[in-house]
Amino acid sequence: MSEENQVEEQPKPLILQKLETNYADALLAQDAARGTVVVVIHKEQAYAVLEYLKTDPELAYTFLVDVTAVDNSQMESELMQFDYARFMVVYQLYSYQGQGRLRVKVPVHENDLNIPSVTGLWKGANWLERETYDMFGIHFDGHPDLRRILMPDDFEGYPLRKDYPLRGRGERESFNFEKQNV
Amino acid sequence: MGLDFGQGAEQTDGNIITTTIDKVVNWGRKNSLWPMPFGTACCAIEMMATLASKFDLSRFGSEAIRFSPRQSDLLIVSGRISIKMMPVLKRIYDQMPDPKWVISMGACASCGGVFDTYTLIQGVDQFIPVDVYIPGCPPRPEDLIDAVIQVQQKITSGASPKGVEAVYE
Repeated sequence: MSEENQVEEQPKPLILQKLETNYADALLAQDAARGTVVVVIHKEQAYAVLEYLKTDPELAYTFLVDVTAVDNSQMESELMQFDYARFMVVYQLYSYQGQGRLRVKVPVHENDLNIPSVTGLWKGANWLERETYDMFGIHFDGHPDLRRILMPDDFEGYPLRKDYPLRGRGERESFNFEKQNV
Repeated sequence: MGLDFGQGAEQTDGNIITTTIDKVVNWGRKNSLWPMPFGTACCAIEMMATLASKFDLSRFGSEAIRFSPRQSDLLIVSGRISIKMMPVLKRIYDQMPDPKWVISMGACASCGGVFDTYTLIQGVDQFIPVDVYIPGCPPRPEDLIDAVIQVQQKITSGASPKGVEAVYE
């Protein structure tokens, strides 16, 4: 047996084994990027899978590192792979039980930007989901306080979308001093 | 006497000085500028260095940093200003008592710098009058000291601050 084959015969990570057993139909794709397991989950079961990841005693992904999104509208390869879903909501998880890091991605179509909020699972998701809403316009259902967090309250548009112009639409030259709550 | 009251001040026999009230008042203002720091980015680090012992802005009478705009007469805008921050800066400027001067420190405050994006004010002088601009990214503490001296020269010359000119135009 050559050394190359030995490398390939590493056991499958526990997280992938468990997801394939319990949520095989929700698992759209799986990958490994620089030592981090990446799984793509169907939106309808996203909350159930995330709840499972947190509450399962062996996995125990109790730490939500980040919630963000990616606008794939100019990434044809990504779009084709996931039924032309424009956005990909990304959850970065960490388990102190020895499972390490996990990245959960959920494709979201532009015509249905709603996705369940995970604030019920991780309280730290509150501001992270607000930021994702502010920058990408993704609506987190069940979020206790879904307002803009970085941009002014009266800002229009979602600046991290790829179709938003870098220099804006004139907001920086003409904004209303009176309307802003200082 | 080591005091320089500028042109128009005459010293007669060593005991009497004739001058004008404006000149005396401006002499006092010039040597006791109280800065209001508005530090939002790395320029503020250079501003701190300017105030600390190595560069020591107090040599020029401006060491009394006031964090209340109502007690200050020199606004130092050091850092990038976003469209969400600009109303705050405007309100702080409005709260300062006249006469007041403004230093726009660094590329970001003066013209947006490298941040040519949707959220950043491309120069605070679009919204508040600026007396002295400092180039640099960030400027050296010497540059800030030079700007304070330029403000002092403006005061000595009797020129009105840009903000006062804007009101009477």
